[in-house]
Amino acid sequence: MPQTFQQLPEELQLATSAHVKYIQSLDTRKDEYDYWLTEHLRLNGLYWGLTALHLLGHPEALPRAETIDFVLSCQHDNGGFGAAPGHDAHMLSTVSAVQILAMIDAFDELETRGKGKAQVGQYIANLQNRQTGTFAGDEWGEEDTRFLYGAFNALSLLGLLSLVDVDKAVDHIAACANFDGGYGVSPGAESHSGQIFTCVAALTIAGRQSLIDKERLGRWLSERQIAGGGLNGRPEKKEDVCYSWWVLSSLEMIGKTHWIDKDQLIAFILRCQDPEKGGISDRPGDMVDVWHTLFGITGLSLLQYPGLRAVDEVYCLPKSTTARVLGR
Amino acid sequence: MADQGGSQHGIARTSRARTEEQRLNDLDRIKKYGELERQVRARAAAQGDYSAEVLQLTGKLLRLNPEYYTIWNARRRSLICGLSSRPSAGSSCSRACSSTTPSGTTTTSSANSSSSCSTATPRSPGRRTAGTSGTTADDDDAASHDLEMLKSELRFTIPLLLDAPKCYWIWSYRLWILRQATERLRPAVARRIWEEELGLASKMLGKDRRNFHAWGYRRHVVAQLESAALAGGSMAAAEFAYTDRMIKMDLSNFSAWHSRSRLIPRLLDERGADDTARRAFLDSELNTIRNAINVGPEDQSLWYYHQFLMLGLVTPEGRAAIAPALALADRVAYVTREIGEIKELLEDYEDEKLIYEGLFDYTLYLCRLENRQPNSDERAGLVEWLGKLRRLDPMRNGRWADLERDCGLKEGREGE
Repeated sequence: MPQTFQQLPEELQLATSAHVKYIQSLDTRKDEYDYWLTEHLRLNGLYWGLTALHLLGHPEALPRAETIDFVLSCQHDNGGFGAAPGHDAHMLSTVSAVQILAMIDAFDELETRGKGKAQVGQYIANLQNRQTGTFAGDEWGEEDTRFLYGAFNALSLLGLLSLVDVDKAVDHIAACANFDGGYGVSPGAESHSGQIFTCVAALTIAGRQSLIDKERLGRWLSERQIAGGGLNGRPEKKEDVCYSWWVLSSLEMIGKTHWIDKDQLIAFILRCQDPEKGGISDRPGDMVDVWHTLFGITGLSLLQYPGLRAVDEVYCLPKSTTARVLGR
Repeated sequence: MADQGGSQHGIARTSRARTEEQRLNDLDRIKKYGELERQVRARAAAQGDYSAEVLQLTGKLLRLNPEYYTIWNARRRSLICGLSSRPSAGSSCSRACSSTTPSGTTTTSSANSSSSCSTATPRSPGRRTAGTSGTTADDDDAASHDLEMLKSELRFTIPLLLDAPKCYWIWSYRLWILRQATERLRPAVARRIWEEELGLASKMLGKDRRNFHAWGYRRHVVAQLESAALAGGSMAAAEFAYTDRMIKMDLSNFSAWHSRSRLIPRLLDERGADDTARRAFLDSELNTIRNAINVGPEDQSLWYYHQFLMLGLVTPEGRAAIAPALALADRVAYVTREIGEIKELLEDYEDEKLIYEGLFDYTLYLCRLENRQPNSDERAGLVEWLGKLRRLDPMRNGRWADLERDCGLKEGREGE
């Protein structure tokens, strides 16, 4: 790829300013029914949008003070965060809250105005199943390697990974491995790219990548690229922009990103953008949403698309954030 | 962050501009939705009381928005307070009615631990054996009341699941209801409820053969039915037969092949299969998958299963080995035979990259088994197949280059 995107033909240009405007517009759509139907994802949505903005080089496009106020307004006494004020605490929204606060360097506000890091860490640690090592999403007990990864992600950002039994959790991930090198939701479940990301990233955070069969997993992941350049999530399924993150970040973590055709994937992601109104969709011509917008942009970032900030393949945060928070 | 609820999948992009009529219509829906939400919160979320009204209100809201997890939780809290039988681990009324109490001992969902790790206050023996001698009329009433409530909840989620088969929250609510059945009802009664879930899993998989929620649900239901808590026994044979049916319907269903790969070791152990039986089983699996590949050599699902069988031959110490006692010479013969069969495929399909990949891999497997380097014929084959892979599958050129380097084939290529 050329070093600046002005040199690229029109169909290969990222509509940066349209995407920024699209993300900024998301919280102004209160007269749309969908805005209210997706309230259970508000905090997650803020994380998706804000991360995309940081990677696009517009970190100030959402106001910092209001962002912090909103995040803290979602916190419960037990330390966990709900998706919006009045929504129950859950692992997924708690992880988003920690990621947002990490990104805008606001852990100190969590101490002074929120319930404090230690309480957040305790909320997450209490969701570990001490028998099997895995994690539940909330007090109602749904278990999934997504929650295990979320716990590792947030706790390590908070510097509190020692609150949980890392070895047990690692054993659980090892039990989720399949003969094809991939990982599933739980032991016995079919390999799935989203779940592979969560397991590989959790093992990476734990410093236990040696448990991964990198050759076999890399093969399986590279076979996710299909005609047209997009990636699918499992064998014989359709391509979808979100796998530009789940598959590619996993390949990056095991050092095999060069096993797919980067230029074709870039072209596929760019074909999924709405160049006028902004946003990226699952496939060309479909409705955009902030979730696919983020994972299109993180995919392009991993592919070193010109002008984008570097994304951390383990944390799905700007590398500048993880460098600052984790001191690396 | 790994949650795709609420995202748009497969919906065509249309102009975002709404007509004034559409805008007003939206405002009207927002108003009604907001009113309903306020009512639910006032009645259910705050107090956690149980009443027909709470079920009706939460039900109405969840039908509009099944992703609204807080409302599912409100419904749980309400139900817990309404269930008559003695509360057990992880679901006591006092806990349910206090939404901010975190629980470090969440009820686990695996079959093995559901009974052993329970921190429940033991139930009164009378309740466990309700319906036999020593029970009271009150116990029977309570049990039948709870049974009806739980069944009604199961009915409630069916249309929602049919409408949103990939919604995590509905599946997890349904499992929670089923767990209540296990914890509160007599094992025989609870078992009948769980048994019906197999039908639901089949129905959902009939609509979408790859739905991983439904496959996961099926595995979970089976594990429960096999558990001691439900006085169960192994269902490996029945589930193996189920994968048979799914594969016959659609060879390209990797979910079914995967499930098969996980069931085989148990199936053979439970059959007490001796070495001869194991060998016959392996032959039969190889025949099945070879025939399938003959029809669809472009289908990754089939090759992955073939690889699974081959891996069992080259790593007999692994958990996947079907016939671990095979002598080295036999294993060499098996791999050699598969390579020969795959070569025959080239007569009908010369441009199918997965065939060349198979030849490449299995030739290396053979060398690994015999603990040697490829001989000159094999090496020439590897070089040729790699050339085909580069030509037929340029997307993965980075991988082919690594393979060439790692197998020391660079010279061979120059000599092409």
